[in-house]
Amino acid sequence: MSLKVERDGMAFTFKGGMLPMTVMELASADPEHIREQLAGKLSQSPAFFHHTPVVLNVEHLDEPHLALERICAVCRAHKLLPVAVRGGPDPVKQSAWALGLGWFPPQEAARPRSLESVSVNEASEEDMLPLMGDEPVADEMAGGRIFRGTVRSGQQITSPEGDLVVVGAVNAGAEVLAGGSVHVYGPLRGRALAGIHGNTQAGIFCRELRAELLSVAGNYKRLEDIDPRLLGTAIQVRLSEAQLSITPLD
Amino acid sequence: MAKIIVVTSGKGGVGKTTSAAAVATGLALRGQKTVVIDFDVGLRNLDLVMGCERRVVYDLVNVIQGEAGLNQALIRDKRIDNLHIMPASQTRDKDALTLEGVDQVLESLSKDFDYIICDSPAGIERGAQLAMYFADEAIVVTNPEVSSVRDSDRILGLLSSKTRRAERGDDPIKEHLLITRYNPNRVDRGDMLNLEDIREILSINLVGLIPESEAVLRASNQGVPVTHDESSDAGQAYADTVSRLLGEEVPLRFHEYQKKSLLSRMFGGGRR
Repeated sequence: MSLKVERDGMAFTFKGGMLPMTVMELASADPEHIREQLAGKLSQSPAFFHHTPVVLNVEHLDEPHLALERICAVCRAHKLLPVAVRGGPDPVKQSAWALGLGWFPPQEAARPRSLESVSVNEASEEDMLPLMGDEPVADEMAGGRIFRGTVRSGQQITSPEGDLVVVGAVNAGAEVLAGGSVHVYGPLRGRALAGIHGNTQAGIFCRELRAELLSVAGNYKRLEDIDPRLLGTAIQVRLSEAQLSITPLD
Repeated sequence: MAKIIVVTSGKGGVGKTTSAAAVATGLALRGQKTVVIDFDVGLRNLDLVMGCERRVVYDLVNVIQGEAGLNQALIRDKRIDNLHIMPASQTRDKDALTLEGVDQVLESLSKDFDYIICDSPAGIERGAQLAMYFADEAIVVTNPEVSSVRDSDRILGLLSSKTRRAERGDDPIKEHLLITRYNPNRVDRGDMLNLEDIREILSINLVGLIPESEAVLRASNQGVPVTHDESSDAGQAYADTVSRLLGEEVPLRFHEYQKKSLLSRMFGGGRR
């Protein structure tokens, strides 16, 4: 899927893009408090802190005057690169701009995707067992879900914080979503969305591909876009260069 | 205590009422005291299929709203003594049914009957959910076509979450697949989904397979459940279904295409 754009003589083109971004939800405005917690995290998973761009989300803070400059300094000292601020009153917006940061309006309050919530519509909690990843990269990656049985039309099984394993079929009209990867040990006939929070390393694995839709970190393919020769086979889906690549497993 | 069986499908026109009438008749013929309840308030049909439309005075809604007693609304079948019909109201809508009301009616019927068959309306809304809520077993009626299979799949999801057994964490509802309007000839030609595909997608136990048959339409129009037509293929297939519901092992019939023999061609075919 490439667009043919005449590029001769142009210094640049503007393109809309959806990049995965780490959002730092601030629950405290105290730079010292933030420093302590960052130091702890840095020792746990140093790989995560590699000049990682972050958006500082201050919409849950109730402070009109934020020591934004000091908070940014603390982040940079721990190899996090603040690139923008989200939410906060007008003075916060002004100081973000003064510091050369972008500002985003607050997220709508009704957005359902909180990292903390696990939603399983029309499926009983007993079917869900916690699953621990063997080498968690960051805290958020631990804690997946196993679902045993058939995911039926109209049902939605979610594992927002980690991988989702379905031991059974995902039928047409059903939807399985995971913050991490999606593994289906059976026919995948419904929709599978992996990396729903933007994790581009996530993948989709299934024993029999019949999926209506495959998506990794917002990049998707519909059934119509899938090579018919792959239908009915065991496959894995990965994101490579912003394209979904579907390859046989066997 | 009676066993409560809901006959449901999601999709309309697949043969729920025909199957509810035929299965109820079959159970009664096997000596089980059976009542069949029409939950399709506003679009009542079961009375026609059972041939008792001229004897309806009170209905399920009257009983739930306290305007009639249970025994006033129950209609005794003309042909079998231990079969009763509870008609639906034609002038009300599904909001006239309440969960408590349905619970009370089923509770009282439970004391007198062996089997309560609930004929569900199409759809997944209130009427259908009330019909399935108290069920112990479910017969999911499916035609060999993709839209019917998908709707049945949706219903199976609801059966495992929106029923009393699911909410209380009791043993789950026993789910049975009943395939109707099966035409082996058209399956062979690829016009219809085949038996194995349907079983694989829905992955529940097959309780019966009813072949597409002229006997079914004739039976509904005459108001005689097709189970009474023992010479017809559909009548025999429903009798097999009832045997399986009662726990007997019966080999599957009518699922393979058989070329008509010379004799049956001469005499117009025996399987009608």
